[in-house]
Amino acid sequence: MHRVGGGIFGAALTHLLQSENRSALANDSGLSATDLLPREPHFQPKAKAVIHLFMNGGPSQMDLFDPKPYLDKHHGQSLFEKIAGEVESPQAAGSIMRSPFKFARRGQCGMWVSDAMPNLAKQVDDIAFIRSMYTTNLTHEPAVYIIQSGKMGPGRPTLGSWVVYGLGSESQNLPAYVVLDDPLGLPVNGVENWQSGFLPPLFQGTRFRSTGAPVLNLRPDVDRPQPVIEIEKQLLSTLDQMHRRQRPIHSVLDARIASYELAARMQMSASDALDLSQESQSTLEMYGIGLQPTDSYGRRCLIARRLVERGVRFVQLYINSQIWDNHTGLATDMKAACDRTDLPIAGLIRDLKQRGLIDSTLVVWGGEFGRLPIAQLPPDKDERKAGRDHNKNAFCTWMAGAGVKAGTVYGTTDELGLNAVEDRVSVADWHATILHLLGLDYDRLFVFENGLRERLTGVVEVNLVKGILDG
Amino acid sequence: MIVENRFFIAPRTLSLLLVLGLALGFVVADENHSAIKPSDQYYVSQVAPLLKSKCLQCHNAESHKGELDLSSLSSMLAGGESGKIMDLKNADQSLILEKVRSGEMPPDKAEQFSAEQTRVLEKWIELISNDKPGNANPITQHDVLPILLRRCTACHGKAIQEGELDLRSRSAMLRGGKSGPAIVPGDSTSSLLIQNIHTQKMPPLDRLVDACVKPIEREETQLIAQWIDAGAPEVEIKPDIADGTDDPLVAHQDRQFWSFRPPVAGHSVAGLAALSDLRESSSAIDSFIAQKLQALGLEIGPPADRITLLRRVYIDLTGMPPDPDEIEIFLNDKHPQAYERVVDRLLSSSRYGERWARYWLDLAGYADSEGKREQDLPRAHAWRYRDYVISALNSDKPYDRFVLEQIAGDELYNYEQADEITEPMYDALVATAFLRMAPDPTWANITGYVPDRLDVMADAFDILGSSIVGLTLKCARCHSHKFDPIPQRDYYRLVDVFKGAYDEYNWIKPEVRPGIGPVSKDVIGGRTLAYVTSQERRNWQSASAKIDEEIAQARLQPNAEALVKAIEARRPLEPRIQALWDQGEPSPTYIYRRGDPLNPSRLVGPGVPSALSDGKTPLDIQPPWPGSKKTGRRLAFAKWLVRPDHPLTARVIVNRIWKHHFGTGIVKTLGNFGKAGAEPTHPELLDWLAVELVRGDWSIKSLHRLLLNSSVYKQCSTVTADRFAKDPDNQWYSRMPLNRLDAESLYDSMLVASGKLNGRKFGPADTLTTRADGLATVSNSSSGLRRLIYVQQQRKVVATHLESFDYPQMNPNCLQRRDSIVAPQALYLFNNGTVFDLAEQLAKRAFHEVGSDPTKQIEFVYKAALSRHPSGEEAQIALRAINQLTKEYSTKISDGQDAPRQAMIAFCHAVFNSAAFIYVD
Repeated sequence: MHRVGGGIFGAALTHLLQSENRSALANDSGLSATDLLPREPHFQPKAKAVIHLFMNGGPSQMDLFDPKPYLDKHHGQSLFEKIAGEVESPQAAGSIMRSPFKFARRGQCGMWVSDAMPNLAKQVDDIAFIRSMYTTNLTHEPAVYIIQSGKMGPGRPTLGSWVVYGLGSESQNLPAYVVLDDPLGLPVNGVENWQSGFLPPLFQGTRFRSTGAPVLNLRPDVDRPQPVIEIEKQLLSTLDQMHRRQRPIHSVLDARIASYELAARMQMSASDALDLSQESQSTLEMYGIGLQPTDSYGRRCLIARRLVERGVRFVQLYINSQIWDNHTGLATDMKAACDRTDLPIAGLIRDLKQRGLIDSTLVVWGGEFGRLPIAQLPPDKDERKAGRDHNKNAFCTWMAGAGVKAGTVYGTTDELGLNAVEDRVSVADWHATILHLLGLDYDRLFVFENGLRERLTGVVEVNLVKGILDG
Repeated sequence: MIVENRFFIAPRTLSLLLVLGLALGFVVADENHSAIKPSDQYYVSQVAPLLKSKCLQCHNAESHKGELDLSSLSSMLAGGESGKIMDLKNADQSLILEKVRSGEMPPDKAEQFSAEQTRVLEKWIELISNDKPGNANPITQHDVLPILLRRCTACHGKAIQEGELDLRSRSAMLRGGKSGPAIVPGDSTSSLLIQNIHTQKMPPLDRLVDACVKPIEREETQLIAQWIDAGAPEVEIKPDIADGTDDPLVAHQDRQFWSFRPPVAGHSVAGLAALSDLRESSSAIDSFIAQKLQALGLEIGPPADRITLLRRVYIDLTGMPPDPDEIEIFLNDKHPQAYERVVDRLLSSSRYGERWARYWLDLAGYADSEGKREQDLPRAHAWRYRDYVISALNSDKPYDRFVLEQIAGDELYNYEQADEITEPMYDALVATAFLRMAPDPTWANITGYVPDRLDVMADAFDILGSSIVGLTLKCARCHSHKFDPIPQRDYYRLVDVFKGAYDEYNWIKPEVRPGIGPVSKDVIGGRTLAYVTSQERRNWQSASAKIDEEIAQARLQPNAEALVKAIEARRPLEPRIQALWDQGEPSPTYIYRRGDPLNPSRLVGPGVPSALSDGKTPLDIQPPWPGSKKTGRRLAFAKWLVRPDHPLTARVIVNRIWKHHFGTGIVKTLGNFGKAGAEPTHPELLDWLAVELVRGDWSIKSLHRLLLNSSVYKQCSTVTADRFAKDPDNQWYSRMPLNRLDAESLYDSMLVASGKLNGRKFGPADTLTTRADGLATVSNSSSGLRRLIYVQQQRKVVATHLESFDYPQMNPNCLQRRDSIVAPQALYLFNNGTVFDLAEQLAKRAFHEVGSDPTKQIEFVYKAALSRHPSGEEAQIALRAINQLTKEYSTKISDGQDAPRQAMIAFCHAVFNSAAFIYVD
């Protein structure tokens, strides 16, 4: 169990620990956790931490990981009439379109990866690919809500919230669930991507900025001399402790005092975690830091590793807007998206490996849906600028690290890449599998909300993706 | 399914064999007198006895839970609310086998099927599969209409009749459109409807997204063709409503659950006399509470001192502390009713409504934007609903009226034909925004399909269910409720109640203004009405006319364009009301199996949840006024909801108000009084309060008085070891809780203490300013800051203050706020610029009010922020800190004169951060 500090904070922790025993998580009485102390999972976990590389926009499966020779053969043939109900923008629908990228078998396992991701292609032996994901909505916002929280619409706890609700955190100096968003802007659905819904706000994601003050309000808006701040803090602490002494048993007041102490320690720890000057030049290069276009995403990948090292449970990386939403300019725009992320992600996997962190860290990559085998044409109908429209019936994701059967390809799509057909994986299956790797049973991880037993996976039938599990 | 109140159907007098005989007789007749088949023999000898012993308790001819009757072969083939239970093509995949094998059915573990018994079922279904198929049910218009509704009526229906064609009924199809009749009964190949579908002319593929329609499926076309070929037969099927006979889906016992029976006050009043020897039991509430405490060996705690009580009641009723003057007046008021007079005064303060409206807005899921999409489309007129709630509470609008207006305000007055729109008419229309608060993406085509619309409706019903009714109605959308006796049918009866306004096949989209998302081609009209009071409209018209005049003048000048544009920009926004209203001619409502609109089953009519009524009496639906095209359904429903003997309405609201004063509800699950909810800790008290509310003409303010004048409320919040041991969670109310200020009270208290409060009421919301790092603060104004309830509540951009202190996501609503303690709150209060600015204002105020003597200043700040005098020790500590700070500042800043002021700011800042400020005893 986590070491308990001294002083008032120690007393508060002791109180919290006691209440935690009473509220041992997700037992069948449905009592729920109210703190971030580490909690026993349901069974022996494979992974202790998750790094979720969220690829907002819908990366194109048939241009990255799921080659479709059929598209080469039937390039230019019409398909729209057969799939009209599955097309978001019918006016722009073109005919079947082959991939502008070249595929090759990679690594020992012989996994197909296109030449759009040359660096990741070298790490395929560390990765398990799922080619047969599907979801239930083909518009970004609803589909992003689904992939984050299991339900189409805001208001539900996100995957990361459930994880830290279930497991607490190994670090009491940093938030349990850290979001590294892109300085260039928020993803679709904004801050709702890391909300805790009906779980206490304690379990929502905390945004860390990779430049400037990492956390909102971490530094004072008004500049004052340090000794003044110290005197005020001392005054506050004295008054609060008097207030506390006059109100025995109200242990909530200890927790409040502790929250001020945690805030102070977070100021130090957060800054330390984000200080990349402690890293060697070769490490920085491995992530593409200092180079364009990889610098920004590379920093976030490296910070993710540093956070996981420090005991953060769930780290989620975002990219501004929707770089994978390649309605037009597939050959150029999707390549640009790859160029921003390919080296940093490959670097992250290599770095986690060389530090032994890969054995306790799960890396998850994926977007909210896939793309169609037909072209989507720009208003001038110029096929050279064609892209692909959304596809909810098939997309690719991958996982690497703790508990994952590396070098695996799981599931199949039809010859067009239009539908997942074999070993289909729903979003709920995917969620349950991630929880499973963390030692959590999707069915036993629940909270009573207004009398109802709410879970991440809701009421749908769930099948773990056993085919990608290592042993 | 978990069935708690099982019962055996005793009245059944026929023997099983007789029933079987009838059932078999039916089968035999169906099969043209063919010999008895092996499957029938097997049914009689093996299957029927098995079903009888394990299943028929709940699934029989009179009482068919889940709409499933397992007492005859024909009823088994018909299936239940989840559809067919036997799959004759893939026998092994049959639903009944799935349920039996998984152990889900029967729910009683002891009754579950053994492997051998399961094999009996398997073998039997196998045998039936081998029989030659019997006659399928004939196709009727009710098989075809749902298809036309989802594929065609968007352009050939009520709102739009392209080519002058309406496909909503057989007669309209025969009448046809410009190109002639749509159908030729008996000849599908000559029917234009089928021809146009076959040639893919209709529905036009390139217009599907515009119309929010998915392509027609081959099976659907076939079904329509078969119906036409069969002569397009129409059968008259009455929608399923309560029809005077016993409800087969909800049993008498189901209605005996405590919260489904009307509250009764009688027994509890009788108990009072016996409790009269208890200490100072000034009211019935004290007796009820004391009685339970006595059983634990406790009594009501000692009273809080006057000054603690004063701060408590101020914060509770107005969300703000008293002014320093008010504290002195109260402390010097020796009148025995001094406290009661404070309660009365606070209840008549307009700050009361501004505080308590927030609780209701949480329940309604109030937001100034639609949500669900990136654009977070603004709801420019929603603030009128916020103002309505504030005014309703301040004027003590009776709760029954409050509910009636919010559910059916559009059916209370004939506003369309009124010469003058009066305040009451306006209020009633504004109130209906309650049903328009659900997050809603349907303004955009791609998120405006029927399933998206059904989600919006489900959220609206969830809001209604969890706020006013106190039941989790949403569960019954896809299946009968797992815990409560709410059949799926009852959810769809409710859907039909709302169909005049919420019709998934005649959908009114939120208004889309230019610049936000794709503008839809088939917008029926937007969700706002122009029926503001005639006075307001006239004011706007004359203001607008003035603008016209100015423009006319401007045009006379050279280079008028820029000037005209500038004048036009000053034109006030047309005043409109965000509302929900009945449009008449609703589409029919079918139960959707598993909630899936592609899988419609029975036709249902409007009704109330059977468990909350006798299950027999249909809803008394009348046109709201003679000649009205409105259905009057919601009005009938609302009237039922506010009946004095309604089992839930009064209980649910008194429990909520109790919770806000005492920290915990008598029923802890505030929005769920069903079987999965918590049981009341003090059922007699709950009933007594509910009856009192109704007896007091549903006056909420009278209820406040009743609660606040009790000794229970006046208790101190001190916990002794004994009280903590016997009542750890304070569910027996052995003390008052120590409460953290909620987000609004915290902010508003800082405003009032610092003197920065701008007391302007009502109107459009104040805006937020978002900094690059995401910090969202109320836009600064020279006239001070308004209460937080008047600040914009968009879903995507929430004030950082609110977000830090547990402001909920309104998705769809919030039944109970959290009061978390997390480090970001400390970071916010200690480092945020607004908090610092307010501390500066408080320091200024101290200098202004009591001069430069630090001792007097400390005294003043304590009174302004903490509503009390500092203790000797506190004053000493504060003074020492201020001296230290002054000294520190004197050396640090060039202007030594400013040091005392800076020191006082730091002191005020510490007070705003202190536990004494944030917690209420």
